[in-house]
Amino acid sequence: MTSKNRIQNGEIIASVDGSLYSSQTVFKCTYWFGDKFHVNVQQESGDYVITLRPMPNANISEGELPYYLQKLERDLVDFHLRDIVNNETGSIRELLVAKAFSNGEYDEAPPGEISDPVGFAPLV
Amino acid sequence: MPIRFHRLNDQKEVLVNEVGDHLVVPSGTFARLVQKELDKEGEADLYGDLVAGHFIAESPIPTLIDVLATRYRTKKSFLDNFTTLHLFVVSLRCEHTCHYCQVSRVTQDKGKFDMSRAHIDKGIDIMMQSPSPHVTMEFQGGEALLAFDNIVYAVDRTKELALLHNKTVTYVICTNLAVINEEMLNYCKENNILISSSLDGPASVHNENRKRPGKNSYELAIRGIELSRKILGKSRVSALMTTTNLSLEHPIEIVEEYYRQGFWNIFLRPISPYGFAVKNEAKNKYEMDKFLSFYKKALNRILEYNLQGEFFREDYATIILRKILTPFPVGYVDLNSPTGAVTNVVVFNYDGAVFASDESRMLAEMKDFTFQLGHLDTDSYEDLMYGEKARKIVAAGTNESLPGCSDCAYQLYCGADPIHHHATQGDMIGYRPTSTFCQRNMEIIRYLIELMDSDKKIKSIFESWVKPQF
Repeated sequence: MTSKNRIQNGEIIASVDGSLYSSQTVFKCTYWFGDKFHVNVQQESGDYVITLRPMPNANISEGELPYYLQKLERDLVDFHLRDIVNNETGSIRELLVAKAFSNGEYDEAPPGEISDPVGFAPLV
Repeated sequence: MPIRFHRLNDQKEVLVNEVGDHLVVPSGTFARLVQKELDKEGEADLYGDLVAGHFIAESPIPTLIDVLATRYRTKKSFLDNFTTLHLFVVSLRCEHTCHYCQVSRVTQDKGKFDMSRAHIDKGIDIMMQSPSPHVTMEFQGGEALLAFDNIVYAVDRTKELALLHNKTVTYVICTNLAVINEEMLNYCKENNILISSSLDGPASVHNENRKRPGKNSYELAIRGIELSRKILGKSRVSALMTTTNLSLEHPIEIVEEYYRQGFWNIFLRPISPYGFAVKNEAKNKYEMDKFLSFYKKALNRILEYNLQGEFFREDYATIILRKILTPFPVGYVDLNSPTGAVTNVVVFNYDGAVFASDESRMLAEMKDFTFQLGHLDTDSYEDLMYGEKARKIVAAGTNESLPGCSDCAYQLYCGADPIHHHATQGDMIGYRPTSTFCQRNMEIIRYLIELMDSDKKIKSIFESWVKPQF
């Protein structure tokens, strides 16, 4: 299958499969191109079409565009992987932070019986 | 487990877990890990490192989650005691005319530019309401020593009230040392006051940065450092440098000057955002590129001293390395999340205005009062520290929820600086792709990790920097 990604009229155009990538991934990734490019994201038939148009003051030559296209493709994969980790482990992160600031409210009792043969805690 | 990753270079990437442990691995490891392609037997060392370092877990809820929660809480425990650092701008008067200084006034008008005793009293009363059992009272200017009578008054009153409120107080005078004398230093010795002086580098840099009649700022600073060390002891006298465009051309000379003057450390402070062209993003990025080049050259010279067996530390790296290499919190205002402005520091200005940080009062001198929390004449502790403005600043200064930061691998090593972003981008939240704060910290953190990974000797040096020194 050939990629729909291309450089056309001085712009980078990339098509992102909407069934594989979330909008969060697309926007978190393209956010980082905003210092050098005008970023446009549109939805077409369930896919995302990303257009990056170099800003006049970014001094990006036509010859550098393939590098940025490659960077976009690579960054999309990176942010997709981060998205997977966030989805799979978000609840653990929330539990961890909740436990951290709960003053013991969510701590579990240590397993097993606590014996006190010497009687350090006579009131228990 | 919740982990983050960042590419270090073409060959390596770094994984960071939720409590700040890191692991440098070959490129592609994160992808294989997420796709569950790691071979437990065939890659036993890597797999073992990942489990032991809490990057992956073998059960849905990790068995040591309570330990991790405690470590997370420890990392954020700089918040426990809330504001500790209280800056008192005892006078705006100064005998220097440094070109980068936004605030000082060359004047004899004590009435107009010295802090009134009423405001000193109110500032101390506010400081005594801090939840922290230990507070730091730092005297700033202008040149603070021009109002030495104010310092004596403030220290004497604070000593009495500290006993009443059961607080310990660290006193610091920030001074260019030009007017320091034995009488002042004897008072500092009696009251255990630290001296934080200014040294921008060799005479050629220092005198150019710090203009004064006689063009002898450097000579006076060196004389003051020597006299202060003689009376107070070497460890009670520190120096800070202000980085200017001129400094950027002299990284080696600046480091060698600090070494020659017998300092064990140097703080290569980032160039102030007020030296930047406000909201000129391309120029700011270029300036930050120059700073990063300066920083790396200077750091490499510092490492040369260490490789020769000397102990000589760079403080900005040390702050970041403490975050990377130790489980402990680091209370540095500019690299905290939530931001250290308000939660760690508050400034009482000479006229009674209260600001969220030292940079906030610089902005106010440029007629921008966004970060003025209130006024000593009218506002209570609660108004100032828990008011709407304070809450807005802290909310914008929490990198866990900022765009561009929330997924960043360096989140725990970095911080948030709403004042920098407001000053340079016109928005407290800030826009990371053009943020010089982000550009600087991302690159310095990446560089430090890369250095440690590339040379075990450098890792040992960095580990020696983060150990308690005394």
